[in-house]
Amino acid sequence: MIRTILRDLWNSRELFVQLTQRDLKLRYRQAVMGFAWALFLPVLTISAGLILRIAFASGGGNMAPSLGGIAIKSWAWAFFAGAMNFATISLLSNASLVTKIYFPREVLPLASIVAQGVDSLIGLATLLLVGYWMGFHWSLQLLWVPVLIVLLLLLTTGLAFLFACANLFFRDVKYILQVLLTFGIFFTPVLFEPTMFKQYARWMMLNPLSPILEGLRLTLVEHTSLLHTITSPAGYVVWSPWYLLYAAIVGIAATLIGMIAFRKSASYFAEYY
Amino acid sequence: MAGHVLFDGVWKRFRRGMSHDSLRDMIPAMVRRLRPGAAASKTELREDDFWALRDVSFEVKPGEALGIIGGNGAGKSTTLKLLTKVLVPTRGTAAITGRAGALIEVSAGFHPDLSGRENVYLQGAIMGMPMQLIRERFDDIVEFSGISGFIDTPVKRYSSGMNARLGFAIAAHLEPEVLIIDEVLSVGDAEFQGRAFGRIKSLVGAGIPVVIVSHQLDRVVELCTDCILLRQGQVALHGTPKDAVHAYLQGTAGADSTEGEATADSLGIQIKSLIGPEPQSVQSGGTFACRVIGEVTASEVPDHVEMGITIVDAASTRIMYEVTFRTLDVHPVRAGVFSVDLTIQANLAAGLYRMETTVWHDQRQVFIQGPNRIIQVTATRAFGGTHQLNASATGGG
Repeated sequence: MIRTILRDLWNSRELFVQLTQRDLKLRYRQAVMGFAWALFLPVLTISAGLILRIAFASGGGNMAPSLGGIAIKSWAWAFFAGAMNFATISLLSNASLVTKIYFPREVLPLASIVAQGVDSLIGLATLLLVGYWMGFHWSLQLLWVPVLIVLLLLLTTGLAFLFACANLFFRDVKYILQVLLTFGIFFTPVLFEPTMFKQYARWMMLNPLSPILEGLRLTLVEHTSLLHTITSPAGYVVWSPWYLLYAAIVGIAATLIGMIAFRKSASYFAEYY
Repeated sequence: MAGHVLFDGVWKRFRRGMSHDSLRDMIPAMVRRLRPGAAASKTELREDDFWALRDVSFEVKPGEALGIIGGNGAGKSTTLKLLTKVLVPTRGTAAITGRAGALIEVSAGFHPDLSGRENVYLQGAIMGMPMQLIRERFDDIVEFSGISGFIDTPVKRYSSGMNARLGFAIAAHLEPEVLIIDEVLSVGDAEFQGRAFGRIKSLVGAGIPVVIVSHQLDRVVELCTDCILLRQGQVALHGTPKDAVHAYLQGTAGADSTEGEATADSLGIQIKSLIGPEPQSVQSGGTFACRVIGEVTASEVPDHVEMGITIVDAASTRIMYEVTFRTLDVHPVRAGVFSVDLTIQANLAAGLYRMETTVWHDQRQVFIQGPNRIIQVTATRAFGGTHQLNASATGGG
């Protein structure tokens, strides 16, 4: 079944490009802020993180702000949240197409994710430009970044497929997603590091986004290899290669389950509008 | 590869109302479904289900053009959506081999904020046209649509006619191996309709299998080699287009006449048969004849009872002509069988028309439909477009 889906997607790659272009054109054509919009959400998240960290640090905690770490993790979170939002409503906002014309329906959530990805690339480029002042440095460990981004894409794609078809059958799913994303930032190490929880840090890593986000911070800011276990001076585990494996397994499983569930329910999409 | 269409024993079940639309409603519904015996098999209907199609089968081979006609809700659109894979059958097989081009909702993929040019590429891609082909055909498409001056204008500023013309132009350049057409024969103005129809005719003539759904019955007769009449999701008739159209039009009238039979006696007159028209196919401006045979059952026909014929455009159901027997001076008044011979000059545009006989009470608003017949009018160059019909009659009671 996976092979059929991949073949269908390959055959409709031109449609996929057209739909992605449409999404991007529409987003920028009439938006006053234009491409600045792509930076807006990450900048806002970073600022929120800084304020939080400064407030805690001045209260005597050991949460000194690390701008680089917050910046790259906010960027990844902004991509995830944006892609989930657009992909979840993609089937409903293209209702007139789905009820009238046949094409592999997978292209709709995928086009939303890729359109959001283009947005995020602009954000990443900007981030890397000012990265020097935020503590990013060149090192061989940067080779991990593409790997981590692929894992992020897999997890996002799988969840997006599940939420997109669920939202067609149950219209309240997009509100549930809003709530999950609003509170998710507290359960994901975006504005803080898991090590702040000392011996409980590993529980934070159960969130499959955590290893990806922490991996990005460790390679870009700390320049550490992800193949070794890292312990903090106080003796708590900061990173373990198993975290990476866990994120990879969850990401691949989510993508496979999402694709199969989406394809199985796709035959009934047109009846549920 | 030659295209081929197969529809084999297809059943399609729909839910009447909205199914559970929020997660909150789903939990009780799932609990209900867990009860033994509650699961619906593929042959049974659950509460609120109905069959949109019941055991529909047909096959279309190269060189054949199948028309599908029927009233609203008969299952025509469901059939097309099953063919184009938008829906899947509950039972049976719906399969198309070869690249299918669907002239259905030809502008469904248009986005109002994008220009005509951008929408040509978008809609083309949605219809499964390779980019390369769209690029090659772009100029042809724009020229066919006849809106080249506005191709860089956002589609939201287009009139609905321009929208439809551009959509049709894209679809018409698909180069399909199977063609599926739904009610797009009425796009744009008369000039464009002619061009669109010509295009479809040339595609049909090229020998690719075609499935057409249309209310324009005369077009179905002209284009199709075969025709299916659907009634409440079932095939009521599968035969020649003429037979199917005839049965369809008879059926729509037949429903009325059975309803009226209860009060037929109260009028004292019944129309028993309509013979003719002769010839059944007449040129615009030519004349045809028919004979109306009926019986006066009351001892005397009440003053306010009228009788006459109506000619209705089969495609639009617009009334083209009406005449009462009284105005023709052939109104029967005595008990017994009567017969009226009518000669009518058909000043009608080419198309299919239905001749209806009616008896009615002028004041009590009782209309009883008698038998009806189809007349086919073919075009001549001489016809100028006025619909003034002339009838003369002999006979009576």
